[in-house]
Amino acid sequence: MIGGRQRRRWGHWLGIALILLWTLPPFLYLVLLSVKPERLMVERSVLLFWPTIERYREIVVSDLGAPIWNSLLTSTVGAALTLVLAVLAAVTFSFLDFRGKAALFLLILLPRMFPPVTTLIPIQLMLKELGLIDTKTALIVLFTGFQIPLAIWVLRAFLEEIPRELAESAAIDGASLPTIVSRILLPLAVPGLLAAFILAFIFNWNEFLFPLIVTSFNAKTGSVAIMSFAGGYKKLQWGSLAVLGVVMTIPVILFVMAFRAALIRGFTAGALKG
Amino acid sequence: MRWATLGRGRLTFLLLALPAILYVVAWRIAPALYTIWLSFNQYNMVYDAQPQWNHLDNYLRLLQDSGLLEALKLSVVFALATTAVELVVGLVAAAFFDSDPPARNLLLGVFLLPMIMAPVVVGTAWSALFDQTVGPIPYLLEVLHGPHIPWLATPFSAMFGLVAADAWEWSPLMTLLLFSAMQVIPREQYEAAKVDGATAGQLFLRITLPQVIGMVAVAAGLRFMDAFLELDKVFVMTGGGPGTSTQFVSYFVYKQAFQSYELGYASTVITGLLVLLAIAYTLYLRNYGRKLTSVVA
Repeated sequence: MIGGRQRRRWGHWLGIALILLWTLPPFLYLVLLSVKPERLMVERSVLLFWPTIERYREIVVSDLGAPIWNSLLTSTVGAALTLVLAVLAAVTFSFLDFRGKAALFLLILLPRMFPPVTTLIPIQLMLKELGLIDTKTALIVLFTGFQIPLAIWVLRAFLEEIPRELAESAAIDGASLPTIVSRILLPLAVPGLLAAFILAFIFNWNEFLFPLIVTSFNAKTGSVAIMSFAGGYKKLQWGSLAVLGVVMTIPVILFVMAFRAALIRGFTAGALKG
Repeated sequence: MRWATLGRGRLTFLLLALPAILYVVAWRIAPALYTIWLSFNQYNMVYDAQPQWNHLDNYLRLLQDSGLLEALKLSVVFALATTAVELVVGLVAAAFFDSDPPARNLLLGVFLLPMIMAPVVVGTAWSALFDQTVGPIPYLLEVLHGPHIPWLATPFSAMFGLVAADAWEWSPLMTLLLFSAMQVIPREQYEAAKVDGATAGQLFLRITLPQVIGMVAVAAGLRFMDAFLELDKVFVMTGGGPGTSTQFVSYFVYKQAFQSYELGYASTVITGLLVLLAIAYTLYLRNYGRKLTSVVA
């Protein structure tokens, strides 16, 4: 009996080691490259060296970091706007019965069924028409729209868990709708709001194809900047590329660590969009 | 007391939902419909001032396009390979997480990192690993006197590299879905089988696998459809090359639309893909729709 438990524990440690060995090396190697001095770059046997933080400093003080700031600004504002629009709709969909509700809900979820390339060409033409190509506004407008279906989907799952009696008894006591929504429903749905915001932010932050075609210089995002360093299979500036990669991953790591539970739940729902 | 009796409040509610609905219609649904309309038009941004209706010409071209056929084949090969690898890794990892290792949730969080990272960063990391000048993989092969492989520069090794990167990125999703299916299996079943002297392998094959097989199908279907449209890592790692050997169907569309400026024809290809996907979704939802909603709920 004890032998069996021992074996099991041994198996667990082996499993943990394998999981870490699978997950970490690609990312850690990127971190290593990002702090490796330029003259040692091709010396692959050198794993111990005095790290340089020069490239990280450049990201903060020079133009090299501009795409990162663009990403941060547009992803945050986009996610916030998504949340505002989605929460209003989600409340309606979870607390109100009306004719055509199912059809309307389907209409909102429909875009999740077709791939983003479907809208690529018209959106580029539309933004060109509006004179918004290569502006942060264009990205914010797009990001806001992209994540609304996902945010409504996630929010609704959280809102459905709030007992309807709470809202109904408040209505009997004469509370108005805005009061019910702002005082009762939203405070109870805070974890859902958080999950929806984080997911929307991360999807915006990681978005690549749309920023690639609607921005070129001024409003270029982090992903697009990486792409401009890394087109094709011949790459030269590994240091800068690695720094951008690591910086792009920092918020992701922070979010994962802070909101693991909400994220796992949201992703299982979000992942099913295909 | 029912919300339906709230009268004026009802209207307020509907007005609240309106902005989101309009936004989705304006930026997601209308553009998709425009793409379908454009697919019946001759529209090259360089030569044509306006889209010009040309009936089914684009569709005839589509049926005879050997480049497209090649791209479709490559996408299918990539999607099959990567789904298979992810399924194996996902099953093993899910079974491991299901055995309640210490610090399970923390470990799960770390394990999920690749799929939450930006796909272009995943592509960058794997490009670095395979790179001839800074990459550890060619270096290790060199030290161990292994073969010299021009990673990402031959058709086969480029495909291999993309599959490796994709498996790293998306095995966690497969794991998560399979793990959630394994968690609902009653523990008593294992206990009872153990009392009867079943080995770990037997437990997995006779108890776990039969009960997660539905989820295996769901997860594999999801990953296949997603991998079929892979684009971001292709951009960063191979640029569709060498030649056109990793030019998957999304990359093909991108090149038609934004390098050849053939907006009309690119729309036709997209519409064709949409039809394929709609068929796949219909079959898929008919078989697994219930399973799918039970996962989400």
